[in-house]
Amino acid sequence: MATVATDRIQEILIAPWAEWAKRATRGKRLLEAGTFAMTEGAIAGGCRCFAGYPITPATDIAEYMSKRLPQVDGYYLQAEDELAGMHMCAGASLGGLKAMTATSGPGYTLMHDAYGWAVTNEIPLVVVDAMRVGPISGITGAPGQGEFYVARYCTHGGNFETIVLSPSSVQEAFWLTIDAFNLAERFRTPVTILTDQVISDMWEDLFIPDDYDALDFVVPRRHNLTMPFHPTNSAELDVAPNIIGRGTGVCVSAYTHTEEGYDIEDMEAHWAQTYRLVNKIRHHRDELTRYETVGVEDAEVIAVAYGANARTVKTGVLEARRRGVRAGFIRLITLWPFLDELFERDVPYVVCELNYDGQLVREVMRAAADKRKVHFMGKSAELHTVTEVAAGLEGVARSGALPKLPYIWTEVR
Amino acid sequence: MAGALRASGGVGGHVGAPHENKTRTEILISGFGGQGVVRMGQILGMCAIKQGHRVTMLKSHGTETRGGYVRAQLVISPDYVDSPVVENADVFVAFSAPAYKKFFDLCRGHVLYDPEMVEQIRPDAPERHVAVPATQLAKERFNNVLFANMIMLGALTRLAGMDYTAMKAAMVEVIPRFHEQNLNAMEAGYTLPDVVARS
Repeated sequence: MATVATDRIQEILIAPWAEWAKRATRGKRLLEAGTFAMTEGAIAGGCRCFAGYPITPATDIAEYMSKRLPQVDGYYLQAEDELAGMHMCAGASLGGLKAMTATSGPGYTLMHDAYGWAVTNEIPLVVVDAMRVGPISGITGAPGQGEFYVARYCTHGGNFETIVLSPSSVQEAFWLTIDAFNLAERFRTPVTILTDQVISDMWEDLFIPDDYDALDFVVPRRHNLTMPFHPTNSAELDVAPNIIGRGTGVCVSAYTHTEEGYDIEDMEAHWAQTYRLVNKIRHHRDELTRYETVGVEDAEVIAVAYGANARTVKTGVLEARRRGVRAGFIRLITLWPFLDELFERDVPYVVCELNYDGQLVREVMRAAADKRKVHFMGKSAELHTVTEVAAGLEGVARSGALPKLPYIWTEVR
Repeated sequence: MAGALRASGGVGGHVGAPHENKTRTEILISGFGGQGVVRMGQILGMCAIKQGHRVTMLKSHGTETRGGYVRAQLVISPDYVDSPVVENADVFVAFSAPAYKKFFDLCRGHVLYDPEMVEQIRPDAPERHVAVPATQLAKERFNNVLFANMIMLGALTRLAGMDYTAMKAAMVEVIPRFHEQNLNAMEAGYTLPDVVARS
């Protein structure tokens, strides 16, 4: 194993904000939390309505929103619960406003019905889930990554695809929230920001551009007042969202519906609706590719992570490199649809995630060239340390197996 | 330490960092809720940002408003900070005995402790310890223990060789009221004979 200089490895960030950040140069540098960044990102992205129910660690988003929205002629509503909150957001969106709600795992599970409404009626929305460790209430102030699959299957009944993004810094939380609003508009669907307690609560230097209105990379809200309200049997993007109002005649329904929005119990109509809900996302996967890689080209072992613990995992990769292991790093930003193409290289993968049951690791096993070479480093309630990650990568590179480490779970089956 | 903390001597010049070529400065502050641990971290972080550095601050706490455990982990670096976790603190500020006990082993550098709260220190490295009687001074000079964190901040600023003027400006920016008392409290820590002698 040759020693590899860390300063010569390739770092790649594929995300729209790589370009945006270069263009937005005037602004202020602050020390703020992820919740602040997501609030400001939402306002910058055009959000003018927030309805939700407070829960740690997402409460600060509600608090910031209650202050910020009235300043920009928006609306803040504290709902009686999460289910009502998300339905209110759906109503606001159908009324022509960009809307967002924010919660944590215990509230997220209450939103499944509202998600179904938004998915099937193609209502643009942004939902933040700041994951804490569970199950259920777990520990309020500790990070988890337990909703990886729940966010994919955010409602029942199947026959839909979802868009789920995860930031790993306060700055990225700002840009990514704008991106989430853009995607919600373009794909006419709820977009989930799957973040965690660390990114939400962590304070970090944050650049906020001076003039939001000059940000030409924000997709504006458009209004579809005419037929067809639901372009069934079509994967077309950038169809203006439906707006309910006097004289529009828009129909929305939880049932399988026609292009006009009328309920119908008919297999052909169901096929046409499913084609639309699944393929508007599947056929435009290229528009949804967001990730970061470090040194994957020559890597003999690749660490995989997302969200907060991608931060310590990346440092662990660099530390492993310093020790002479050709380690690479993949950080997923788009979680769903899953970026299978990132796992084409036939090398061992070490998946680091904040749960003991193993969620992301199962998707990597499915996508990887050889699933027997996919290793699991599960930890819960605390980020992986640099030392743990470096030891794990070193173990896999030198002996093909993870070392035994306290608090690290390696069993998947 | 690239300008945020002095490169050698003072608190920044610790030895035995396990990650070579370390350009980051790690600061760990811990105590009880209500002692101003997070506020102190916020001012330190703001000061570093104003000087062009990148900063992360993790804060963890119990569910209590006051009395529970609080920890702030700061990383200051000229470059983007990847891991925000303090695994080898250059400076550890201990405002309570439980905090001192719990986090001492995460520190490779200097330990600033409040002797009224931390009565017993570990015998193995007395030279790394600096007693800052912040609580006692806050009571004597300001008749209010709330100023202890600003006394500690003044002491830390001197020991770490950080820019005192910039730190005072950051404090004024972060704290909305009682600027004069807070500046006096910082000065009390900054001019402590023990601290001056060690810097």
